[in-house]
Amino acid sequence: MSAPLVLLPSDEVPKDHLPTNSSNPLRLGPGLRILSQPSSKGTNHVLTATQAGLLTTDAKRNTVSLLSFPNRRYIPTVNDFVIAQIHHSSVDFFHCMVTPHTAHALLGQLSFEGASKKTRPMLKQGELVYARVQSVGLGAGAEVELTCVNPATGKADGGLGPLTAGMVFDVSTGMAARLIRASSSSAENTDAIDGLVVLSELGKKLESLGGFEIAVGRNGKVWVDCSNAAESAVKVTIAIGRCLQETDQQNLHTHDQKKLVTKILRDMKLVS
Amino acid sequence: MVGPIASLSQLNRADGSASYKCPATGYSILGAVNAPIELPARRDALKPEEATVEVFVKPGTTTAGVGERYAEGILRSALGKIVLGREKGFPRRGLVITLTIVGGENVERGDSYLTILPALLHAALLAMVSASVPLSMTFSATLLGVTKSGDIVRDPSPTAAKAAVSLHAFAFSSKNHLLLNESVGRFEFDTWELVRERALSICQGATTSTDGDVTMGEGTASASLNGFIRETVEDQIYSDYAYKLDSI
Amino acid sequence: MASTTTPSNPTPPSLSLPPSQFARLQPHAYLLAHLSPPPASNQPSIRANGRAASQFRVTSANAGSLTHTNGSAVVRIGDTAAVCGVRAEILHTKDIASWSVLQASSEQNFDKSNEAGVSESQDEEDKGHIQDLNLLVPNLSLSTGCAPGFTPGAPPSALAQSLSHQILSLLHTTRLVKADDLRIWYQPPNLDSEEFRNAGEGMDVDTEESGGPEREVKAFWVLYIDVMIISLAGNPFDAAWASVLAALRDTKLPKAWWDADNETILCSDDVADVQRLSLRGLPVSSSFCSFEGDIAAGWRAVVIPDAEEQKQKKGAQQRWILADPDGYEEGLSQERVSVVVDRENGKTVIVKMEKHGGWTVDSDDLRHLVDVSAERWDEMKRILDQC
Repeated sequence: MSAPLVLLPSDEVPKDHLPTNSSNPLRLGPGLRILSQPSSKGTNHVLTATQAGLLTTDAKRNTVSLLSFPNRRYIPTVNDFVIAQIHHSSVDFFHCMVTPHTAHALLGQLSFEGASKKTRPMLKQGELVYARVQSVGLGAGAEVELTCVNPATGKADGGLGPLTAGMVFDVSTGMAARLIRASSSSAENTDAIDGLVVLSELGKKLESLGGFEIAVGRNGKVWVDCSNAAESAVKVTIAIGRCLQETDQQNLHTHDQKKLVTKILRDMKLVS
Repeated sequence: MVGPIASLSQLNRADGSASYKCPATGYSILGAVNAPIELPARRDALKPEEATVEVFVKPGTTTAGVGERYAEGILRSALGKIVLGREKGFPRRGLVITLTIVGGENVERGDSYLTILPALLHAALLAMVSASVPLSMTFSATLLGVTKSGDIVRDPSPTAAKAAVSLHAFAFSSKNHLLLNESVGRFEFDTWELVRERALSICQGATTSTDGDVTMGEGTASASLNGFIRETVEDQIYSDYAYKLDSI
Repeated sequence: MASTTTPSNPTPPSLSLPPSQFARLQPHAYLLAHLSPPPASNQPSIRANGRAASQFRVTSANAGSLTHTNGSAVVRIGDTAAVCGVRAEILHTKDIASWSVLQASSEQNFDKSNEAGVSESQDEEDKGHIQDLNLLVPNLSLSTGCAPGFTPGAPPSALAQSLSHQILSLLHTTRLVKADDLRIWYQPPNLDSEEFRNAGEGMDVDTEESGGPEREVKAFWVLYIDVMIISLAGNPFDAAWASVLAALRDTKLPKAWWDADNETILCSDDVADVQRLSLRGLPVSSSFCSFEGDIAAGWRAVVIPDAEEQKQKKGAQQRWILADPDGYEEGLSQERVSVVVDRENGKTVIVKMEKHGGWTVDSDDLRHLVDVSAERWDEMKRILDQC
């Protein structure tokens, strides 16, 4: 890969930065658009940026995308996993908060695994669900719909459903995306993914205490549960939350992340 | 002379924000952008095909008056032109830019607002970039004054601006278009053209490279205002993606 | 193009529409068709309202229409009409909180002015007094039912506020009104000479007398300049500014003096005593808009916004700069240019120039527009001189 390239709106994507794999059509990520430039010999096409960001390419999937500022507000996109909080319920729907200061998202009363009129979960205000964005609608005022089942299988894949116990921490949306990438590929690669070792480090250190469960929502929320840790559960939860938030806020490097985990766990007298 | 100081994404709750300070004129602006957002009260007044750009200018010490309305009008038309309001998620929604004047001399009633326009424009641009608003281009702006002796002064201080024969605010796009011009005072067209050339060289650097903006020479890029905007954005992205760049 | 828009029509689809309907359904295409007629038709490029690109609308001005004001004017530019009334009120210096401070600083200025060019610093001082004391108070109202968008009685819209500011700011930067015209003096009687010229009803003041104690400013005239746009069909600023200009030229201030015995300002009701304002120059404003020919410019994301300047030289005429746009044309263009010119010793001087909202107009066009504005200056001078 060549040197990191930051583009500003109206900058062209240099040809030599594009992936050369020609078997698949080139796919553009957000922040890029194709423009035609009428010239004497037909039309040329150029790729230009519409946002400022770091140009990244994926040769395998033949994609180009622009990584913009990571601390953006979350805008629901279909198939994103989010952590939503129930605001109130109506006959057919739970009205959930996905991001503050925006219209509520709708979660069908029956869109849970194996839910029927009789067996549907009775969620109360303030309870949490791990849900997938089913549709975002079109145009202004459109409602965002969530679901807790995979409509194809009817199963709650990937841990969808109500989140009981545990605690939620706010992180930036960029951090949430990193955490999701890191957790999805950590099986084959235990090294730093996106420079993120804080989770695997915590996992190693906290194994003796019973480990922990974590769910990451794209909307910048992380749910942590350590019910196994018995009497130190609260402490462990808070320690994990602190580690994640500080890594996020201070843009820590991998070795700093390791140091941070050690320091916080020692401070809270969890690991000697 | 001391260059401007700017930083991005300082506010947590806004979608994008930027602060901009120009030491020469003393103005310091804090800008916040929220986009795309619903403007619920005026849903039927919103344009069906593109985003509605709203600009609010808040003076530091008083309430906004007619001068601010005027500046808002200019900013709205200048910024509305470079925002790609038809990109996904934007039509029928609003783009709200709030610019607070946190430092510098107050613009008195009836005073020309153009002394502060460049600072307002820069703060608005950086805040929009930080909010990832799709833009067709970036720009940079500068203020020039012509003194009694005919000298062209860059970024005159408020007192120098009062004494100037004519004052000119210019904004040039990253592709050298004249985006905005506000000139007051008594001047002739030839003077204006000289001022325009000077403004262009301040914004774009002495040489205008033809082969894309990316490979611009370090020396000229950092000296020009466009280069300054670019560096500010790059610095922020490098620090946000430090983890990624290290692994490369 | 027109035929595709007919399905809403209940009658069997006719392939032609009356021009008035076409103008409403496809405003952009309608204007574009007028401006770029097919080469075969041999028609000249003309705007939908029948004007050439740099032609202004018929302008008329009438001064002194309102009898209860000190000065007034009605200016009509096409279907845009502005009424301006100037009302003068007296501001006593003793009511000005910062008067003593201001006076001290202006005396310093006077000292300096003896060294430097006198007239210039006189200008400076004028601007300072008028601006610091708010001696000119323009206000523009659009809430008259002048156009469907403005409901009568509503609070001033952003446009009205912005126009008020432009008028005020232009009054200040052009220094149109001389502060000297607005001062009301008091000449303390010279105790050495007892020869007062007695004026009519026993008032004993003589301002022309020189020597003796220094005369002092006792009050100022404050000019309230109220502009009502009674009909808005585009380009409100030109009409508003022309009406302000005509009204100020029409403004007569009664002779006023400080009466030491009554300790108050007295005004003469003699018509022969009135004094007109002597204005500095005659700044005339001309506004333009740039109409872009490419209908789909905003939609077709495939067009590169523009290359370097070369394109502007090479490209075919894809935009027209329209002088004095009417409401229809203003709705179709975003880029605005406004030039205010004056003439000094036969030379055209630009007093204000602004453009925003687009990137198609650059220095070559602006040079041309300044020339057009200079021609407009001649026309406006003739109109204003006649009224």
